Parts: sequence; C-alpha cells; structure tokens
Amino acid sequence: MQRLVLILIIAFGFLDVHAQQRMIKGTVTDENNQPLPGATVRVKASNVSAVTDATGNFQINVGEQAAPVLIVSYIGYTEQEVPVSGPTVSVRLEQGTRALNDIVVVGYGTQRKRDVTGATSTVKSEEIAKRPLVRVEQALQGTTSGVQVASSSGQPGKGLSVRIRGVNSITGSNEPLYVIDGYIGGSIESVNPNDIENIEILKDASATAIYGSRGSNGVVLISTKGGKEGKTHVDFSTWFSKASVPKQLDIMNAYDFARTVNKQNLANGGSPAFNDQELEGLRTGGGGTDWQKELQQQPWIQNYQLSVSGGNKGVKYLFSFNHLDQPGLIKNQYYKRTTLRSNVDVKLNDKMDLKMNVNAVFPQDRNIQYPGDLIDPFTQATEWDPTSPVKDANGNYILSAQFGSIQINPVAQAMNQAVDNSATNLAGTGVFTWRILKNLTFTSNNTYEVRWILSQQLFGKETSLGMANRDNATSGSTRFRAYQNSNFLTYKNDFGDHSLTVTALYEQQNQRNITNNAQGVNLASYSLGYYNVGLGKTQFATSGYWADALQSYMGRVNYAYKNKYLLTAAIRVDGSSHLLTKYSTFPSLALGWNIANEGFMKDNKLFSDLKLRASYGVTGNQAVAPYATIQQISTGQPYYFDGATPSTTTPFGGPVSKSLKWERTEQYDAGLDAAFLQGRLTFAVDAYYKKIKDLLYNYQTPFYNSGLSYARNIGSVENRGIEFALGGTPVTGGKFKWTSNLIASVNRNKITELGGLDNILVNNIGSPQTNLSILRVGQPLGSFYGYQFLGTWKSKDAAEAAQYGMKPGDAKYVDVNNDKKYDAADQMIIGNGTPKFTFGFINDINYGNFTLSVMLQGATGYQIFSQTLAYMWGGVGDARNATTKEALDMWTPERETDVPAFSATTAKYNNSSRFVYDASYMKLKNLSLTYHIPDHLLSKIKLRNLEVYVSGQNLFVVTSYPGYDPEISNATNAITQGLEMGVIPNPRTYTFGLRAGF
Amino acid sequence: MIRVRYILPFVLLLAVVFTGCQKLTEDPKGNLTPGTYFKSVSDLDAAVAAIYLQYSVDAAYANISAVTPCFGSDDLGTVSFSNKQGFLVFDQLNATPDVPDNRLSNAWQGPWTAIYQANNVLANYQQVNATDEVKNQYAGQAYFLRAFGYYMLVRTFGPLPLINAPLDVDARPQRDPVDKIYEQIVSDLKTAADYLPDNFPGAPGRANKLSAQSLLAEVYLTMAGYPLQQTANYALAAAQSDAVIKSGKYSLVPDYAKVFTTNNNTESVFALQFNVAGNLPQRLYGSSCMPQDEVPLSGPAGWNDFYPEINFFLNAPVCARTEATFYDTLKIRVGTTNNYNLVPWNSNATLSHHPFYKKFRAGVGDGIVETPTSIISAGPSTNKSLDIIRYPMVLLNYAEASAMAANAPTAEGYAAVNQVRRRAGLPDLAQGLTLTAFRDSVVKERAYEFAGEFGIRWYDIVRLHLLPQILATRSAEEAPIPDAIKNNPAALEQRYLAPIPLQEMLRNPQWEQNDGY
Repeated sequence: MQRLVLILIIAFGFLDVHAQQRMIKGTVTDENNQPLPGATVRVKASNVSAVTDATGNFQINVGEQAAPVLIVSYIGYTEQEVPVSGPTVSVRLEQGTRALNDIVVVGYGTQRKRDVTGATSTVKSEEIAKRPLVRVEQALQGTTSGVQVASSSGQPGKGLSVRIRGVNSITGSNEPLYVIDGYIGGSIESVNPNDIENIEILKDASATAIYGSRGSNGVVLISTKGGKEGKTHVDFSTWFSKASVPKQLDIMNAYDFARTVNKQNLANGGSPAFNDQELEGLRTGGGGTDWQKELQQQPWIQNYQLSVSGGNKGVKYLFSFNHLDQPGLIKNQYYKRTTLRSNVDVKLNDKMDLKMNVNAVFPQDRNIQYPGDLIDPFTQATEWDPTSPVKDANGNYILSAQFGSIQINPVAQAMNQAVDNSATNLAGTGVFTWRILKNLTFTSNNTYEVRWILSQQLFGKETSLGMANRDNATSGSTRFRAYQNSNFLTYKNDFGDHSLTVTALYEQQNQRNITNNAQGVNLASYSLGYYNVGLGKTQFATSGYWADALQSYMGRVNYAYKNKYLLTAAIRVDGSSHLLTKYSTFPSLALGWNIANEGFMKDNKLFSDLKLRASYGVTGNQAVAPYATIQQISTGQPYYFDGATPSTTTPFGGPVSKSLKWERTEQYDAGLDAAFLQGRLTFAVDAYYKKIKDLLYNYQTPFYNSGLSYARNIGSVENRGIEFALGGTPVTGGKFKWTSNLIASVNRNKITELGGLDNILVNNIGSPQTNLSILRVGQPLGSFYGYQFLGTWKSKDAAEAAQYGMKPGDAKYVDVNNDKKYDAADQMIIGNGTPKFTFGFINDINYGNFTLSVMLQGATGYQIFSQTLAYMWGGVGDARNATTKEALDMWTPERETDVPAFSATTAKYNNSSRFVYDASYMKLKNLSLTYHIPDHLLSKIKLRNLEVYVSGQNLFVVTSYPGYDPEISNATNAITQGLEMGVIPNPRTYTFGLRAGF
Repeated sequence: MIRVRYILPFVLLLAVVFTGCQKLTEDPKGNLTPGTYFKSVSDLDAAVAAIYLQYSVDAAYANISAVTPCFGSDDLGTVSFSNKQGFLVFDQLNATPDVPDNRLSNAWQGPWTAIYQANNVLANYQQVNATDEVKNQYAGQAYFLRAFGYYMLVRTFGPLPLINAPLDVDARPQRDPVDKIYEQIVSDLKTAADYLPDNFPGAPGRANKLSAQSLLAEVYLTMAGYPLQQTANYALAAAQSDAVIKSGKYSLVPDYAKVFTTNNNTESVFALQFNVAGNLPQRLYGSSCMPQDEVPLSGPAGWNDFYPEINFFLNAPVCARTEATFYDTLKIRVGTTNNYNLVPWNSNATLSHHPFYKKFRAGVGDGIVETPTSIISAGPSTNKSLDIIRYPMVLLNYAEASAMAANAPTAEGYAAVNQVRRRAGLPDLAQGLTLTAFRDSVVKERAYEFAGEFGIRWYDIVRLHLLPQILATRSAEEAPIPDAIKNNPAALEQRYLAPIPLQEMLRNPQWEQNDGY
C-alpha cells in the first residue's frame, strides 16, 4: 500500500513537473447569456480540464500546444470545440441538440446517445432534485415513458411498484432489475436519491438481454455521483414536509350509526339495540369517536443532506451523508434512514484507474409492515363502533365493542405492538480499469455487500395477535451477503467509415442468507420488551439458510457504418444453481438508422435528429426459488402429545418439479427518435410486443398430494404497447424559459396460455377474502372475479325476486345461467387492476431567479376492487354493522335506491362488482416554486449557490374512486393488482426546503 | 520494474477469478432432504408427530370449519347473516362446490394432508435403524391416522382416489369406489391394532391399540349402514368394541360437564392435542360457540359460528347432561357498562334467536370465563384437547352393533347404553324394546351425548339416511331449505354427500363432481 501511494505521488509529481504553463481565462454562458456554473472545459488532446465556477468563469492551462482547442460541455447542452487565440475566451453553449451527444450508460460500458439502438430513457440528477424524494423509484414516476410507477402504499419506507412495459410474470417479481454502479440486483432502498447522477432505464430486449436471465422486467441502471476536478464543493440541503392523509372516508357519526344498527337488528328479526333515550343522548352528545382521526397523525418529515466533493487530476472524491426521518400517517409508525457514501476515483497511472464506492445504509423502522388486511388498525378504524370511546374512565383501552367490528380497538392495536426492524447495509464496489492497449480496455467490477437485519417484535395483550395469553416477543436476525465479480474486455476502434466496439464478459455472483429467530409467548414480564424473549412461558427458535450462485458469459458487438447504420448484437449465457439444466442462452439483435445523417437530409432544416430503431431479444425472469427442485423436509410447529410437552415435527415437503426453466421473454421493439428545430422539440416513440413463455406458476398440488405448491412452467402472457416521450422548450427568451415534457404509455396485457387450463382461481389478499382474482386465458393479469351487481330488486320485480328467495330491497346480481339462484356458475370477470394508460406531464417555468415546476401524473383504464369499502357495510362476521354514510341511503319502499337494504334474505357478496370502482386518476404529484438567490448577493456571503423552495405533493387528485387513494393496492404479484384492503394512502405533503452550495 | 510488480497482483487476482469458477450445485443446509432423513428413531418420531400436526392445525380440525359439511345435521345450525354463509348453505342442504369463504376446505384438506404425511412415513419407516417392535409402534400410528383420514373423507365426499404410497408430482388419479376405500381403512386399522401397544405412557395423544379397535368398531358400524349396507359388519363392530370395553382401560367421567373442561380424561380414547402458547390453539370452543350478542368485559364478542337447532334443543331429554350441554340464557351487556341483562334465548333482544352450546364455552378455563351474571373474558383459543373418540361412543357402538348382529337387544347392549344414560342423569332404558326401538334409542342417545361434537350426529344421519326425519322436525325458524330439495327425495338423497371443493375439482379435471352439485 505504501508503495502504491508512493507510485501515485511520483506519477502525479512527474506530470506536474513536465507541464508547461499557459493559462487561459474564460467565461461560459448559456443561450440567454446567463453564466453556466459547473460546465466542463477540456483541452483537446490532453488530460487537462477545468470546471466553471459559480459565475461561469474558468481558468485552464493549455500547456505547450501551439493551437489549443477547448472542448466545452455541460449536461443538456451541445458540446462545443473552441479554438483559442488570445488569453481570454468566451463560450456560449446552446441547448440545441441536447440529447444527441450525451453519454448513455448501457450496461458494461457507455455509448453516445446517437449510437444507441435500444429503447432507453434517462432521468438525471436535476430532475431528481426537483422533488423531496425519499425513494429512488419516485424519480421514475411520470418521468419515463413505458414505465408505470405506483406508490401502492403510503406506509413510510415502502418501495414503489415499478412496471416497465407491463407485467410479465404471474408469481415472480415484476420489478425491474436494479444495477447500481455495475452491481446487479443491488437493493434500491440503499441508494440515497441525492447521490444519483443518472438513472438509465433499459426497456427493450436488445438493451436488457445483456442481463440475460434477470432482464425480463427491464433494467434500471443507476450511476452515483463522483467528485469533479476543481475546488472542494460543500453542498447542504434540507427539507421539511408536513404530511397528512389526503382524504377521509365518509363514516357515520355515533347517532347515525346507532340508528342504522337498530334498522339492521329489526331487519334480522331482533329488537333495537339503542332505545330512544340512548339515541337522543347520541344525537346531542357530539359525533362519538372519529376512529380515523384517533388513529391518524399528521407528522413532519425531515431530510438532511450534506455532501463534500472535489478532486484533482489524480484523485476525485465525493462524500455524502443523508438522514431521513419519516413518521407514518398513523400512530406509532416511523421510518428513519441514515446513508453514508464515499465515492473515490483514483487515477493510478496513465493506463489504470481505480474507483472505490462504499455505501452504508442504516434504516430503522417501526410498524411499517402492515400488510393491508382486515386486522390492520387502519382497516379497523373504518369499521369500529363510533359509539365506543377509545378509553374507559380509568384510562384503559376499551378493547371490544358491542357493535361494528369484532376486532380489537385499532388505537390499542397500533399502540401496543412494536414491529421494529433495524438494518445495516454495507456495499463496497471497486472498479478497476486498465487500458491495456490503445483500443483495448479491461474492467473488473467487484461488489461485496452485507446486510444485517435485526427484527424485534412485541405484541402486547391488547393486540389481536397477543390477546388470550398469546402476547409475544420476538428477536430475529438475518445476515445476507452477496458477492459479484464482473470482468470485461472492451475493444473499440474505427476503421475508416466503420466503427466497432466489442465487449466480452465473464461474471459470477453468489449470495447467502442466514436467519435466526427466537420467540417467547406469554411473557412473564413486559418490562424488558423484546430484549429478553426468554421470559416467554413457551419459546420457539427457528433458523434458516439459503445460498445460490450465478455464472455468466456475455459478448456484445456494436457496429456503426458512417454513423448512419448501427448494429448491436449480444448474447448472454447464464448458469444458475436454481435449475436442473443449469445454463440458458439469451440472444439479442438491434438495428438503427440515423436518417438525419444521410446525404439527402443534408439540406433539411426541420430535423436535427431522426433515427429509426428495431430490435429483437430474449430475456429471462428468475422466478424459481432456490431448492425448488429438491424435495425438502421442514420443521413444523411442535405437536404436544400430552398437551404440554413439545415434540418436534418434520412434515414432508410437497413433491417438486422434475424440470424447470426460467421464464423467457421474447421482445420485438421498433422505435423512432426525432429532434426538430435544433432540438427545441424532441420526440421519441416506441412500439413493442413482448411474449413471455414458460410462465412460472406456483401450482398447488391436489391435497391428496400434499396440497403444497410447486413451481411449474405453465403458460404464456403477452404485452403489447406504445410509449411516447415528447420534450420541448415552447418559450425561451430573455429571463423567461419554459420547458415541458410529456410522456405517455399504453400497454395491453393478455394471458395466452395456462398449461392447458382455462381458469385458475386465486385465493388472495388478507385473511377474509377468497377467490377475488382469476387467471383466465384471453384476459389480462389482474382480473377480478365475482358477481355482477345490478343494484336492488325493486317493488315491481317482487315476483321475480321471490323466485330467488328474495324480496324488494335485496341485492340483485346477474344470474348468468338463469337458474334462479346465485352460485359459482354466475361469477364472472368484473374488472381489472392493471392500468392500460399512464402518463406524466412535467413543466418547468423559469423567470429570472424563480423556477416553477409542475408535475402531473396519472393512470387510466383500470379498477380497484376495494374490500375496505365492502367491509364498511357490515353484515359480515368480522364487521357486524355498517359504518359507511352511504348506508343512510338504503333502499326503502318509498325511495327505491340501488343500495341494498338490511335483510335476512339478501345475498351480500363482498366478491361482487358493487365494490369494484373505476380508479382512473390524475394527480398533481408535485408543485414547487424555487427561488435562486442572485449570484451577486451570494458572492458577498461566499456562497456558490443558494436556493429556497416551497412545494406540495399530491395536492389534488382527479378521480371518481371513492376510497382513500386510487394509486394504492395490496398487490404482491401480478394477479392481485388492484385489490385493496386497508392500505394506507399516499400522503399529501407541504414541503419547504433549501439547497446551499459552499 | 516497479510497474510490473504493481500490476502483478492484479494479474494474479484475475487468474484466481477466472479459474475459481462458481459452483452451481445446490445444498440446502437449512432443510432436511429425503436423502438425509429416516435414519434414526427420532427422525421417525418427528415424522409421525407431523401426521398428528396436520389434523390439529387451524386449516384442519382446530376450527369449526372442520365440520362445515355436517351442518345439515339438527345439532348444528348457524345464523343467516354475517360470514357464516359457508355453514349456512350446508344447514340449508343447498351447498355448491364453491362454498363461501372456503369453509369446506378444512374437511377436505385436513385429512388429505395427514394421509400425505402418513404415506411418506409408511414408505420410509423401514429404513430406520431400530428394532421392528419400535418401528411398528410408529408405523401403527401412521396406519391409524391414515385410516382416520380416509374414514372422515369417505363419509363426507364419497368416492376418493385411494393413495397409499407417495405419488408423482403430476399424477392425477381417478376416484375409487367407496368399498375400496373402506377396504383400505379396515386393513390399516387392523394393522394398527396389531402394531400398537395398549398405551403410550405420558403421551395420551398417541393413538394406541384400543383407539384403533374403537375406530375399527365405528368403521364396521358405518359400513353396515349406507351406502355399503354390509350388515355382516355389525358382528365385527360388536366384537371390536367389546374388546375395548373388556380391556377395562376406560371409564366415564362422573360429571358430564367435566368431560369438556379436562384434557385426556378417563373416557378419552383418542383426542387431538392443542397448545395455545405453542401456536396450536383449539378454536371450536370459546368464542366460536358464543353468541355475537354477548360482549365480554375483556376480549372480542362472540363469533356466532354454530348453535343447536331449536327443536333439537327443545326435544332434549330433561337431565343433568342437557343442563350441561345447552346455553339458554344469554348475557347481554348494558352499553359499555359492566352490567349484564340476562335474557332467554328466544328473546328479541338477541339476533340469533337460538340456544347455544354451554359445554364448549369454558375450555380448560381459557375459553369463556364467566359468572352466572357476567362474562369476564372470552377467548377464541383454548388448550382443550379435542376428543375424536370418547368411551361413550365405544359403549353405544357396542349397544347398537350387538343388537343388530343378534337381531335383538342384548343384555350387554342394554348395560352399555344404560351406563351412558346413568352418567347423563337419565333412567335406564325400558327393557324389552324391539330391535328398531332399541336402535332408535341408542341413536338418540348418541345425538345428545355427542351433541355438537365433530359431526358425529351428521354421520349417523348419513349412515342411517335420517334426513326426511330430521326435516320433519325442523323448526320453521331455522334457515329455510329450498322446496326443490326438501320435496324431492332424489335431491335429498344427494345431500348425504358434500361436493368436492371447487378448487380441487379444477385441479383434477379428470374427476366428475358428486351427483347434484
């Protein structure tokens, strides 16, 4: 190591000694003559570069060159080459054909945007900085075409659902593959959005096939920021957000509730539960308990970000610190995260670079794992008896109520449970680059990641899990480690009109996970919480282990002829420990035609860029769990032959598949990129067709053969769609500038085969619901299944209703086979939870030092099947009485509404279209106003940059959906999309923040 | 030179990287595999315990859904509102394969998953390094538990695929006729009786020789009735139960109520075991049988899952057993105060308008905790062991079978039924009854002795085809049975079997659903 340092010192010393001094001064401005801070100025044919300061000025040593040329570049602006004659130079950059020369990260290398043949989208750090983001995925929402992002829960710390070009897998993950600084499959939670330089989304198979068996769902390449040569920069930013549940459900007050209970009792042959005197007391005694309000809170979310960056020719560095503190929207819930990053680039010598990125994340959270279920306090708050106070006169929680829900008091539930997780995630990535020959580079990218998670849980007696002496404390830990080693050679050369890049890769990765869990049930004392599970009268200990490995080879050729005709061909071979036949091959091919570079386009003034692309490729989805082909014997819960002494049980696992393959996606893509009017208007469109074969489904064996699931390749699904991205600068001039980006995507999904079956009914979401979803050939994934609700039987239809054993006011459904009863044969598809159309519309309006950003985002063409709303009608075992205000509008003989009345003869199906709602929405995702403190003021206080802003998120939503939030769902996989039960909505937030640069 | 030395480590590293290729074989270190298992007696012990476990879990017999297909009986009814539709459709003899809330799945999956485990034990137990005697003690339990599973299934669903060895993952066998299933049950129980010891000290939950004989007696009695009607089996049933009686190992608990508040008492021949703190709760007792109208001072309100039908209650003989069985005065809490009003079961102040079961309320002190005038707490989970075979069943099986075999009541048969009656607080059965009258008396005795217990009454209704009789006495206040079923003997006949659950039919396209569904 000492020797290494010595070499470095000598190397840099050597360079310094031999450099001749000739300083050039200059200024870089934008097209409005505003100074451009941070622009890069490079001396052509040398390694010398400089960065402009806050006033756009720079100073650079051009050495001994006789006719030096400066290359001036800035992200989003056209690079310029400026010959230098005098001692000063002034450069005006134009936004012009901005995108064309951008360097695009394509995986195992980079390409110029104009040479890219695949379908990709980019999100840059500037876009990320506009909003108070806590998760990286939020940066993709509304900003990238072909990418559907839904924030499907408002619980703090929750990941978003990201779907690139539709859903591909029934039971496997549909989340894209995240590649963080070359580390494949890194945890997206571990990345601090502020550390991101660039996000590249690879959508078509030619772009993703280089990731082979993991590329089916699209790939998101994340590059983190590095230091830049020049003075040390210290950047500090912070924001504070006031968050709240944007909408409350309409729930009856105590008086209306009590009246409705009476009505329900009478209809069921009982007598009124509340007498007139009690009713009068409730009518005049205030509204009773508002459980939604009792459970919710309106927290302040805080975020602090500090980074220090800088460097010289030899070493560049960036150190960053971030802390997020995000309490939840309901009581006793929070998420906190501290992130530390150190990115250091070292130029070892002329031929070698070494980059070392170390990222450490410390998330810590409480009670953010509510699954969205009947027993969640958030669900219970909509079902609980408003006539019951939260606590009794002695200050103890009232645990059960006589009416409404039979579950435990939601406030007691929330306050008496602690599901705490704290984790330490460390990832170190070392990239070694060796320019072996002029045209040949070797790169070795190595990541070692460790995640250590401590899970502690305490369920007191006043929780549904802990009541009846099942109170319990758990302490568990998980240790995960992963190692990845990628090595690739890149050969790059131009032969006259031909330019060629060849990449060859060998990569290996392995992962190992070890878990330990100890639980004590029925605690002798609570004073130690979950710190001593030994206090439990009964104790359980479990442990688990899995490991896997992947070994891959990849080759890729990029060829261009006269910068007009482009070809990319790649093949990847992945070997995996999960499969019996270890190796699978994933080829791809893409062609591009830069029409704008053709001779016949020379005189054209309209297009500054015009490119046609077409691609085909095969990718995979690793939806097979480790050991899926090995029959296993697990340890079950103990059995007690005398009711007290535990005996170990080892249930035999279910039978396993004899052959399994990865899901295989074949994708065709055709795209067009165009830029008009010197790039003031850009347009990109892509159409694709994706066919996913060998779909993996965890097929349940018949119960005579264990009833357990085994993975099977059973069918296929297709996605077809079109995606548009339109960007432009409608107005620019003087102090005023308006840029606008519109993205829109249409996707159609269809199941084309299910291994010979026509239907698979799916038992899912939460404890009470069954068979709400169906897989059916010819229908999209996410189809809802149940009865088609027709409103109520009217008085004039009494005779017909009687044939069903019903009477007017009872619920009426479609009787498909007209057999005068409602049964399984009458169930049908009653909706779908997958959006068909999504869009985002972003506008930035600059006026002088003010910037106004408006971001609209939306989705249409789908429904939500809400069990939250269904349960608010009561009449089910767990929710006895109605709480929804709509119950006041029930059918009566006088007023024949379509709201079924209480009745002993009615058929109240929660699996009916009555609870399926159109969920199309448009949200004002972000509205922000930023003031950039004028530079002349800043220079007085020695600040490089200072901005203050106010913003609001989810300020309004246009939707007809009556539930909390049309964006949320319980979906854990593609089948259950759009099912909703007790999911906490996305908050509305008001934010103010500042960004300062020193 | 310096440069070379400096590059060298990288070159070496590369060499290591490229040669040290990744191994792609799998080794599930955290889980046992068939290759590493069935070596020692403790392996075998844990594998056999896993069979019992399948019956005791919530998805099987730990939950009232265990008896969903038995709700057509007169000792089981349910409310017409709330989430009891799954029970209600059976109560109304109007079920379809798609039973609401998947209520039917327990009765199907519980026994099958146990049979699956038993088949694996029986296929592998010979590999274990132990004496034949030890191995047979375990194999005997597996045979017993497999027979018990098939016995529950065949009475409920009729023809079944007969599976007595591990199956291929893609196998989709046909359903075999009922007689083949009974053949297997009898053979398994005979083997079990042969292999098992008289008892397992300290482990009352293990099936022993006498459990096997008692179950075999019951199986023979059932085979003598519908659908097989192999009346030669009466004698065999009598002989098997006689052997158990003669063993002298069991005696009736003097106080009937105590049967339901003590575990593994002197009359328990075979019971499933539970342990709340061990995450293995019994949930047929406690909240499940408590009216929704009742709200305890602590804990959730009642679940209203099941109750006896009104006329079944009203026709019960007046005796201490009836007192202990039924709950006819409900405790209705006054608002959120700590006071309760006592109201009769048929009061309009209750929504259920039914008596409930008292005997299942307390559990072993961990179900409903109450005084005569208030309910202190109520829990849905108890530690009470669930008796599958109680000694009275052996006695009543004997009484019925011996009479049917001899074509006339026998003195020993009278003695057996009177033993049960005396404990119940009833006088002895009148002497000199005809065969039919005697049998009817025994069947009625079974109805009240085992009221609400594990479908025993329903399977009597099935084996004796009592539905017309049951419907004739059904109160108009019960959920109505559609005329198309009630008035159509052919349709009624089909109701003795439950439909195969829809999900399982979808997984077995080669099967035909039971007639009428």
